[in-house]
Amino acid sequence: MTRTKPKGKKFMALHATCDGVKRRDFLKVGALGATGLGLANYLQLVAHGAVQTGKATSAIFVNLPGGPSHMDTFDLKPNAPEEYRGLFNPIQTNVEGIEISEHLPKLAACADKYTILRGVSHTLGAHALGQEFVNTGTRPLASLEYPGYGSVITKERPGLVDLPGFVAIPNTRQKAGFLGVKYAPLNTGSTPQKGRPFSVRGIALANGLTITDVEKRQSLLKDLDTTFSGIEKDSQLLDGLNKFSRQAYSMITSKKAREAFDISKEPAARSEAYGDAAFGQSCLLATRLVESGVRFVTVSTGGWDTHRDNFGRLKDRLLPPFDQALAAMLGDLDQRGLLERTAVFVTGEFGRTPKINSRSTPGGRDHYPRCMTMLMAGGGVKGGQVIGESDEKATGPAGEGISPSDAAASFYHNLGIDHTKEYHTKIGRPVMIVRDGSVIDELFV
Amino acid sequence: MTRHLLFSALLVGGVLATATSSATAETNTTTRVVPSKVAPAVPQRFAAKSTEEVPDFQRHVVPLFSKLGCSGRACHGSFQGRGGFRLSLFGYDFKFDHDALLKAAADDGPRANIAKPSESLMLQKPTETVAHEGGLRMKVDSWQYRLLHKWITAGAPAVSKDAAKMVKLEITPSELVFSRKDEKVQLKVVAIWSDGTREDVTPLTRFKSNDDQVADISQQGLLTSGKPGDTFVVAFYDNGVVPVPVMRPLSDKVGRNYPNVETPTQIDQLVVVKLKKLGIVPSGLSTDAEFLRRVSLDLVGTLPTAPEVEAFLKDVDPGKRVKKVDELLGRPAYAAWWATRLSDFTGNNDDALNNVVPSRNRRASQDWYDWLKDRVEKNVAYDRLVEGIVMATSRNKDESFKQFSTNMSAVYRGEGDKAFTDRQGMSHYWARRTFRQPQDRAIGFAYTFLGIRIQCAQCHKHPFDQWTKDDFAQFQGFFTGVNFGINPKTRTEYNELLAALELGDKRGGQQRRAISEALSEGKTVPFQEVYAVVPKANSPNKGGRAGKAIRQQIKKLQQRITTLKADAKAKPERAAAFKKQVKLATQQIAKLKRRQKQVAQQASRRNRGRVASKARLLGAEEVDLTKFADIRSPLMEWLRRKDNRLFARAFVNRVWANYFNVGIVEPPDDHSLANPPSNKPLLDYLSQAFIDHDYDIKWLHREITGSRTYQLSWQPNETNRLDDRNFSHSIPRRLPAEVAYDAIQQATASDSRGVEMKTDLEGRAIAIAGAGRRLNSRNGPGYALSVFGRSTRESNCDCDRSNEPSLLQTVFLQNDSDTLQLIASNRNGWINQVTGELGIKPARRASGRVTPEMLKLSKQMKVLRRKVVAARAAKETKVAQKLGIQVRNLQADYAKLARNRAVPKSSGEKLADLDSTSIVKQAYLRTLSRFPTEQEMTRSRSYVEGSEDTTQGLRDLLWALLNTKEFIVNH
Repeated sequence: MTRTKPKGKKFMALHATCDGVKRRDFLKVGALGATGLGLANYLQLVAHGAVQTGKATSAIFVNLPGGPSHMDTFDLKPNAPEEYRGLFNPIQTNVEGIEISEHLPKLAACADKYTILRGVSHTLGAHALGQEFVNTGTRPLASLEYPGYGSVITKERPGLVDLPGFVAIPNTRQKAGFLGVKYAPLNTGSTPQKGRPFSVRGIALANGLTITDVEKRQSLLKDLDTTFSGIEKDSQLLDGLNKFSRQAYSMITSKKAREAFDISKEPAARSEAYGDAAFGQSCLLATRLVESGVRFVTVSTGGWDTHRDNFGRLKDRLLPPFDQALAAMLGDLDQRGLLERTAVFVTGEFGRTPKINSRSTPGGRDHYPRCMTMLMAGGGVKGGQVIGESDEKATGPAGEGISPSDAAASFYHNLGIDHTKEYHTKIGRPVMIVRDGSVIDELFV
Repeated sequence: MTRHLLFSALLVGGVLATATSSATAETNTTTRVVPSKVAPAVPQRFAAKSTEEVPDFQRHVVPLFSKLGCSGRACHGSFQGRGGFRLSLFGYDFKFDHDALLKAAADDGPRANIAKPSESLMLQKPTETVAHEGGLRMKVDSWQYRLLHKWITAGAPAVSKDAAKMVKLEITPSELVFSRKDEKVQLKVVAIWSDGTREDVTPLTRFKSNDDQVADISQQGLLTSGKPGDTFVVAFYDNGVVPVPVMRPLSDKVGRNYPNVETPTQIDQLVVVKLKKLGIVPSGLSTDAEFLRRVSLDLVGTLPTAPEVEAFLKDVDPGKRVKKVDELLGRPAYAAWWATRLSDFTGNNDDALNNVVPSRNRRASQDWYDWLKDRVEKNVAYDRLVEGIVMATSRNKDESFKQFSTNMSAVYRGEGDKAFTDRQGMSHYWARRTFRQPQDRAIGFAYTFLGIRIQCAQCHKHPFDQWTKDDFAQFQGFFTGVNFGINPKTRTEYNELLAALELGDKRGGQQRRAISEALSEGKTVPFQEVYAVVPKANSPNKGGRAGKAIRQQIKKLQQRITTLKADAKAKPERAAAFKKQVKLATQQIAKLKRRQKQVAQQASRRNRGRVASKARLLGAEEVDLTKFADIRSPLMEWLRRKDNRLFARAFVNRVWANYFNVGIVEPPDDHSLANPPSNKPLLDYLSQAFIDHDYDIKWLHREITGSRTYQLSWQPNETNRLDDRNFSHSIPRRLPAEVAYDAIQQATASDSRGVEMKTDLEGRAIAIAGAGRRLNSRNGPGYALSVFGRSTRESNCDCDRSNEPSLLQTVFLQNDSDTLQLIASNRNGWINQVTGELGIKPARRASGRVTPEMLKLSKQMKVLRRKVVAARAAKETKVAQKLGIQVRNLQADYAKLARNRAVPKSSGEKLADLDSTSIVKQAYLRTLSRFPTEQEMTRSRSYVEGSEDTTQGLRDLLWALLNTKEFIVNH
C-alpha cells in the first residue's frame, strides 16, 4: 500500500528513454511546454494509459488553516518513542492495513472512499506562505501572484450562467492572482447554521425585493442603457459589461442560485448527519452547491495551530466535528452519485513537529512542513489507499516524498486540466498552472 | 526562493511575445567605429568546406544556437537544461555556454570533440545522427553544420577578454508602409562591432512580429503585409533588440487625401502625424458635458455634481475648459487621487510596513500617503519629490538621535505642529519588509522610477531588452548602502531611551505594545530608522585567517617546486625522483587552490551584507561608491541626468495612461526595446518638455488635458473604429476602484452632501492610505474596492490594479445591500431628499429598527467589553487580547445583520399628477453628468409617474442609471 516516490512519476515512460524517443514534433507543438512533453507524446501516453483524462467536473477543497498534526490524525506512529508518538492510538479502518487516529472513527469507517497521501513534504513553515503553496500548488514567488485552484478551474471549466463558479465558505486564501478579478471567488462571508435560511451577499434577493420588482427595473435599465449600443461590439470592456449584466441578472433572479445556498431546505436527517458545527453545515452547503452545478467550492475551518495542548484540543474540539462532517460529506456525495464527478482535496498548510513540545501539559506541536498528510477523493481517485510514507518517527518522508505541487497536479488532473498548460501574465511571462508538479499516478490506478 | 523569470518560448516558429523601440542597440563602448565593408552573410562564407575563416563564438555560434532554438526556454536554455546539456537562456553568458560545450558532461563527454570534430555531439544531435529529443534542427553539410564544424576544427575558440562588442544593429528598411495585402519585403540586418567590422547577420537574426495579422515575418526575415493597422517586427541578435515599425493604412485618407484636422497643440500635431500615415481620422470634439465628466474623473477621481454640470454647460466662456482644469487642480481631491496613484507606483502597502513605526495608533502607510499628498498639493517638482524618497533617511539633516526620537514621538502623538509630512524624506519606502535585500530594491526601484522590468536579468539575459545578468548584478550595488533598524552608531542612545521607559524584560510583541503605550502616555520613545551606511575602503575579502594560511602554504610549495627543479638540473641522475616530487607538489597546489576558491566563496557569501564599493548605472558608467557619504546620491543624480532616457518618460507615460486608457508605451510600466512607444516623437516631446518645465506635475496635467486629443469624442468614425493605441478617439474605460466607489456614494447622496464631498475627503475611497490584508475586511469599503480591483501594491507591477470588469462588480452594483441601501438611505440620501420635497411620507426607518438577534448580539458585546476592561486592568494582556478578538467577531456579525435588514420600506404612496421632468433631469446630472435625451426623458418619466409606489419608482430610476454602462465607465 505504501510507496516511495519514483523520480519523474508521470513522465517516467518518457524520461526513461529521454534521448531515445524520436520526436520531431516536439518543438513545434510547444503547447505542453517546458516539461518537454510534446502533444503528440502526451496523446501517446494517454493512449497507453499512462495518463488518464479527468473524471471530475467539479471540486471541493477543504482547507484546514493552522496546519493539523499529521501524527495525530492520518499518520500515527505507535512504535515511536514516547516524546513523539503522542496520546492517541491508531484504529483499524474498513480497509485492511490502513489505520488512522482513534478520534476519527467515522472516517475510519469509510476509508475506502478516500486516499491518504503520507510523507507530503515542503519547506515553508510560516502560515501565510504555506497556505499560499497548498492553495495554488506552486511555491510562492515574490514576483508573481499565482491563481488559486478555484480561479484556474473556473477559467478552464466555465460553469453555469446563473450560478457563481467559485464559492468560498466562509472565505479563502485563494486569489485570482494574475488571471484577474474575473476569476475571483465569491466569499459567503459567514457559515450557515443548521436549519436556518442562508444567503450570500449580492446573490440572494434580500432587502425586501421581489422578482417582479427586479424584472421591472431591469426593463427600465434595458431601455436606458443604450448610449454605447453602436460601439459595443468593438469594445471588450462594453461587451464584457453586457455579458456580466446578463449573468448577474439571471443569478439574482434564479431560483436555483437562491435555493442552492439555502440549506434550510434540507431534510433534517441529512442536515443532522453533518453535525451542528459550522464546519459540518459548511460541508453540507458545499455538497448542495456542487449538486446544483457550482464548479468549485472551498470550505475552511481553522484552529489547527496547536502549539499548546495539542491533544486536548484535537480530541475535544477539532477532530469530532471534522470527522463527522467529512465522513458525512463523502458518504452523501457517494450516495447521490456525485462523488465520481467531484474531486475532493483535504489539506492544511503543513504538519506539526513530531516531537512534542513542553509549552503546556500535555504538550503541543509546532509548525512542521517537512512532513504532513493530505486526503484525496472523488472523480478518478481510487479510494482505500495510502500513497507515500513517512519515516519511523514521522519526521520526514521515507524516500523522496510528495510535494504539494504533485498533489496539485493530481487534483487538476482529476478534473481533466493539464497542469503544465501555460498562461501568459500581463507582461507576457509564460507561467505553467503548476510550476514543478507531476501527477501521482497511483491515485488513479 | 528562486525568482526565475522565464520569458516567452523561443520555439521554432514563434519567438517571444510583445512589441518593440526604434532604438538600435548601442552599448556603452566608446571605441570609435571606423566604417568598413560589410562582410557578407554567413551562409555564403561557410557553406563551402574549403573556407579558411574561423567562425566566432559570440558572433556566429551562440546566435546560431539561438536561431536553431537550442538555447530556448523549452530546450537547453531551461534552468534544468535538457538531456544533461544546458545553455544560458537567451544566450548571452558566453563563458557558461563555452564551458557547457567543452567540459565533459557526466556520461557523454564534451559536446564539442576537438579531436574528432565530426563526432561532436553538438553536430550529431541536431542533425539526428544520434537520437535527439529536440528533433532535427539542421542537416549534415548545411551551412549551419559547416559553421559549427569549422569552429570545432579550429579548436573551438572562446570569446577573448578584449573581444569587440557590438555597438549597433542596423535594419534596413527601418520603417515600412504597405498599401495592400501580401506585399513582400526582405529585411537586412547588419551588426557593427567596436573594432569597426560590419557583418550581414540576417541569417543569424531571430525575427518576431508583434501582430502577425498586420505583418508576418519569416525566420529568414521576409516580411509579408496583412490586414491594415500598425505594429512592429522585432529583430534579435547578440544583445541587440531592434523594432521596425510596419504600417498599412486603414483607409485611403492618406497623403493628399487626408482631410484638414485641427491640431491646436504640439500633442495634437504629433498624434496626427502618426494618424496621417495610418489613414485614421480623429473623432470630433467631445461635448462640454462629456469633457467635464471625463476630466473630473481622470484628474480628481470625482464625479462633477449636478449643479456643477449645469453651470458648466451654461457658461459661454470659450476658455471654460482650461479654467475648469485649473479649478480642479486646486481641489483637495486632486492631491488625494494623485497621492493614491503615487502610492500605487511606490508600493505603499501596510503588510510590508508592519512594525516599522512604534505607534499602534497611526500607520506608516498613512505617513506615506500624507507625505505624498502634501507634495502633490504644493506641486513640488517631480524630481524633488522623488529625491525625497530616493535619498530618504529617517533623520532630518543634522538631527541628533535624541532630537529625532523626541520629534517623532511628538509626530505620532499628533502634538503641536509636528507632522510626518514635514519630514524631509519619506523613509518608509526603504523600511518595507519586502524591500530590504539589494536585489529586491534594484527591481522595485527600476519599476517605480524607470518603468522597466529588470527582474528578468536577475537570472538570464532580458529577452526583450538590453539588460544582461551582469548589468543587474552591477546595478544592485547602489542598494547596499542603506539599512533599516537600530542604527549601530546610536545604539547606546537607543538603549538609554528604551531603558528610561522601564519596560522590564518585555521582548518582541509585548515590548512593542508597551512602547506604543508609553508613546501615547507622552513619553519619548526610541525609533528605529532608515540610515545610510558608507562603503569601506576597497579591500576584497580574501577569506581571513583560513585564506592567509592557504596562501602561505601555496607559496611554500611553489618555492619548493623551484628548488626541486633546480636540483633536478643539478643532479640529472636523480631527475626522475625530483620530477615525481614536483608532480606531487603541483597536485597539492591544485588541491589548495580549490580549497582557496571555496574559502573565497564562503567569504563572499559572508560579504553579502556589506556595502558595495562600486556599482554600475544601467546602461551607463561604473561609479566608485567609496567617494560618497550616501551611495544613493550618484543614483539620484543619474535620474536627473540628460542622458537618462527613462526617468521622466516613466512618469509622463503613466500620467498619459491615466488619461487615455493605454500608455504611449503599453503596459505603462514596461519600457523595453522590444516594446516601443506607439508614438515615439510624442513621448519624446512630452518627456523633454516635462523636464524643461522643471518636472512641474501640474504643467503636465494641463498640457495633456488641454490638448484636443484628450478632448476628442468617444464616438468613432469608420477610419478610427478599431484604433485603441493611437489616441484618435476617447476609449471608454472602467472607473478605477476608488473612483467607482466614490462615484456611487456621490450619485446617491443628497445635494448638500454631494457638495460637501467635493471638498471633504472624509470617507472617500481616494483618501485611503495603504493597501493590504487589513483592508480586505468585509465591512466598509474594503469589499467593494477589492471586487473592483484596487491596487494591491504587492508585486512591482502597475497591473496590481485591475480595471477589468467582472461578474461580482455587476452583482455589487445590481444587488448588493451596500448599493441598495445607499439608494434608499434615509440620511443624506438623494431619494429621501426628493421624496421629502414632494411631500411623500418618509420611508419607514428600517435602519433604526434593531432586530432581536441584533439586540442579543449587542448584549453579548457589552458583557465582553466589560470583561476586556477588567482583564486590561488586571494586566492580563493575553486574555484581554482574546476577548478583543471575540468582540471584533461579534461586531462583524452585528454589522452583517444590520446590512442584511430590509432597506427602508417606502411608504407605498403614489403621487398623483406628478411631473417628474426636473427630477429625471437631476437624476441624469448626478449619475451620467448630462441631461437626458428626449427619449430617455419620456421613458424615465413614464416609469416614475406610472409607478404605483412613487418612492420605489424613483429608487428604480436611480438604480437603473447606476447600472448603465455609461455610469461605470469614463468615456
